[in-house]
Parts: sequence; C-alpha cells; structure tokens
Amino acid sequence: MSYDDVEIEDMEWNQELQAYTYPCPCGDLFQITKEDLKLGEEIARCPSCSLYITVIYNIEDFLQDSHNPIQPSKQQSLSVA
Amino acid sequence: MEEEKKAEKRDNKNDQIIWSWGAGTEGQLGTNKLQDELLPQLIHQPSLSSVSHLACGGAHVIALTSGGKVVSWGRGNSGQLGQGEVVNNSLYPKIVTSLDAYFITHVSAGWSYSAFVSDNGCLFTCGDGSFGQLGHGDYTSHCTPFEVSFFANQHVVQVACGMRHSLVLLKDGSQNQVYGFGSGKRGQLGVSKYKIKSINLPEVVRAFEYAEIVQIAANGDHSAALSADGHLYTWGRGFKGFEDVHSPQRLNSSLNFSKATLGWNHALALTGEGEVYMLGGNHLGVLSDHQSMNRAKQIPVDSREANLEKVPGLDGIKISDIATGSEHSVIVTDNGEIKTWGWGEHGQLGLGDTSDQISPITVNCGHDLNEATSIRVYCGSGFTFALTMA
Ligand SMILES: [Zn+2]
Repeated sequence: MSYDDVEIEDMEWNQELQAYTYPCPCGDLFQITKEDLKLGEEIARCPSCSLYITVIYNIEDFLQDSHNPIQPSKQQSLSVA
Repeated sequence: MEEEKKAEKRDNKNDQIIWSWGAGTEGQLGTNKLQDELLPQLIHQPSLSSVSHLACGGAHVIALTSGGKVVSWGRGNSGQLGQGEVVNNSLYPKIVTSLDAYFITHVSAGWSYSAFVSDNGCLFTCGDGSFGQLGHGDYTSHCTPFEVSFFANQHVVQVACGMRHSLVLLKDGSQNQVYGFGSGKRGQLGVSKYKIKSINLPEVVRAFEYAEIVQIAANGDHSAALSADGHLYTWGRGFKGFEDVHSPQRLNSSLNFSKATLGWNHALALTGEGEVYMLGGNHLGVLSDHQSMNRAKQIPVDSREANLEKVPGLDGIKISDIATGSEHSVIVTDNGEIKTWGWGEHGQLGLGDTSDQISPITVNCGHDLNEATSIRVYCGSGFTFALTMA
C-alpha cells in the first residue's frame, strides 16, 4: 500500500542522487529518477525500507524537453520571494 | 576497598542513563556505529552528561545540557548539526561552539534543520532553508546557527520544527504569541485561511486571542498548541480521513491536556490525570491493514472529536511522558516502564524485532531502575531515545 500521494512539485531535485526525493518516515528519502518518470512510473521507493509513495505528475512535462524539466520545489519557492 | 565499591555504585546510580534504538544508519543513535538497533543500547558518550532535553529530527539529534550547552550528532548534510560545516554524518556528539556565548534553554530538530532558543529570548536556526523554514527572509541554508532577526525585539521561549515548517512561541501571553514560517501548503502555518506555498519570514497565527499557549508542537505537516487551561489545538494536514485545516482548531473535548506530541499521521495527548489519547487512529496498525485507509473519505472538521481515542491496554496505569516518531509512539508509565507501538521496521519500538505493534508493548531496557528515577522519552523519525532524569 502506498504510504502517501505526493505531487512532483513537493519533491526536491537531488543533484547527488540524480533523483526527485521526498522525506521517508524512516529517515531516508523516497526517490524517483527522470527516466522513471518519462516511462510513466509513478512509484518512488525508499532504499532503506519497504515503504513507497505514489508520485502525482504530468508525464508530458517530462517527455517534451529533457533539457528543461519541471522545476523542483526549491526553485519554485525562490520565485515566491 | 568495600567502601570504595559502595561509593562507586552510588555514583553510578546518580549518573544519567541514556538509551537509544531504531534507525541508525546516519549515526543518529549515538552508538558510534552506522547501523539500526532493535534493542535499547546504553549510550556512553563523555560529552553527553546532564542532558536536560533532547530534540530528534529526521536523522539527527540536538541535546541540551543543564548548563545551557548544545551538543549534536547524526546526519549533517544540510548543516542541521550547526557545527559550521556540512558533514554526511557525525558519529560522535560534538558541542555547537558557535552558541557558547549563550545559555540555551530550548531546542528543536526538524526533518533536516534545527532551532535553538536562548535564555534572553533569541532564536537561532540552521540547516536546510529551502522552504523558508529557517525564518531568515530567504531560502538559504546555514551550517552555523544564525539569529532570526525578526524576533530581535521579542522574547522567544519555544520553537517547534516539523518536516518543512516552524512554529515559535513568544513569552507573554499576548494576542500575538504564536508565529509560523516555512512550507504552508497543508495549512500547517495557520497564518492564513488561504493556501500558502511557503513563507520565509515569521507571520502571526491569529487564533489565540482568548487563550494562553504554553506548548507548541510540529512534525510532518502537522502543527499543535496547548493552552494553559488544557485545550488542544491542531492545524495543518488532516489526520487520517480528515481535511487539512488552515487555522488552529480547538479539539472538542472536556479533557485537560498537559502535553501533546505529533507524528506524521497521528498525535498523542497526555492528560493531567496521566491518561494518554491518540488522534489519527491506528495509521500504523493500518500500514499492515491494506484496505481501509487509502483514499478514505474526507470527514468534515466538526466531527473531529470522534477521531480521538484512548490508547488501549493501559488498564488505568498512569503515564508520565509521551513521544511520537513519524509512525511510532512511546510512553513512560509512572512506575518507570517504557512502552512502544506503531511501525517497527527499523527497530524503533526497541522490542528486538522489526514487527509493527497496534497496542503498547513494554520495552526491556535491561536495567533495574530506582522507582524514584523519572524517565523521559524522545523520538526522531525512525528512532527513539530514553533518558533518566535526576
Ligand atoms: Zn524509508
């Protein structure tokens, strides 16, 4: 069973992991790559435990231009300032 | 010889005992190892003596000593340890030297950031600032505690850090006593009835005109406050099956609450009579109960008291302390027993296995405690600490 449904805009792009991440209740991070998203994968898994989340996103945002993916929340927050 | 032995024994009895268990791969257990522990581990750290309060975050720990000093360890990749550098993880507790000039009286640990309050009412924050949760007016992260200048002319007494948002309580019970900043999408800031993505400067929570708030709590996307007359207020992400609420809602209950703690999907509330209640139900019992929970229908806020239930299986045993991890719960009985339930995959229940539990089970700390010794418990996301208080 999915632990939670999380919108892609609430996930953070992690340069080191090359993945979108979201906090897992175990202390690690749920992760999903751009490649996964392009394939229509909607499950982000945590490498440390059995939990996973369902990622809510629009696949077109990832298929169109691989050089300009949708902005992770960090950049979006900045524009609010 | 005999005399010496006796003296040694007595000394040990007065020494503070600290245990930890659960998720440990970031060094957060203070065991000097990067591994999970399924049973309580005795912590031997010379830099940890006379701890008066612990704050546990996603995978890091901030300890406050009775002398007003701050010690930190665990994950430090966002600067949340306040050690002046970004480290993957710190196995050994280290003093936060940049706060040496202050006597710190309160600390809180969020998912990947930390906050500190000094006896003269200053607030300092460090760690991940991507959502404005440090309150400095920007989205910058800091690896050294940095004073929140917004409160420069006010007296801060408490701070509470959640996943991506912070709450602050000011000293005098005026109308403007609680502030929020950081991520607000689920209503957890309580500063506006409209949906707020995030704010990076504190804004007042306008709901406590007629209440004197004495305790604040934050975890996950939840917020809570407790008033001097024992009322519990919650806001933010709705508990299981309930809508999000964007301003503090007083729980419709005649119970007199003395302490409240939050998880990512549940809350515990302790009454003045030593009874413990849970909000949000058995979400974790529900982790293994696949059908009933997902996409539950949204229940209107008014019927929330129906969501409050007494923790089962305690048979009138009085409870003296409570703590909540993201998905587990810990309580201390007034005869010094620690009981846990909820999610157990990383050993955070301390019961020697990785099973989940739906009702309180006694943890064996392997120690015969003096009955007069009081025990306090603290939870990070997937781990637990217990310590004896003098
Ligand atoms: Zn996990």
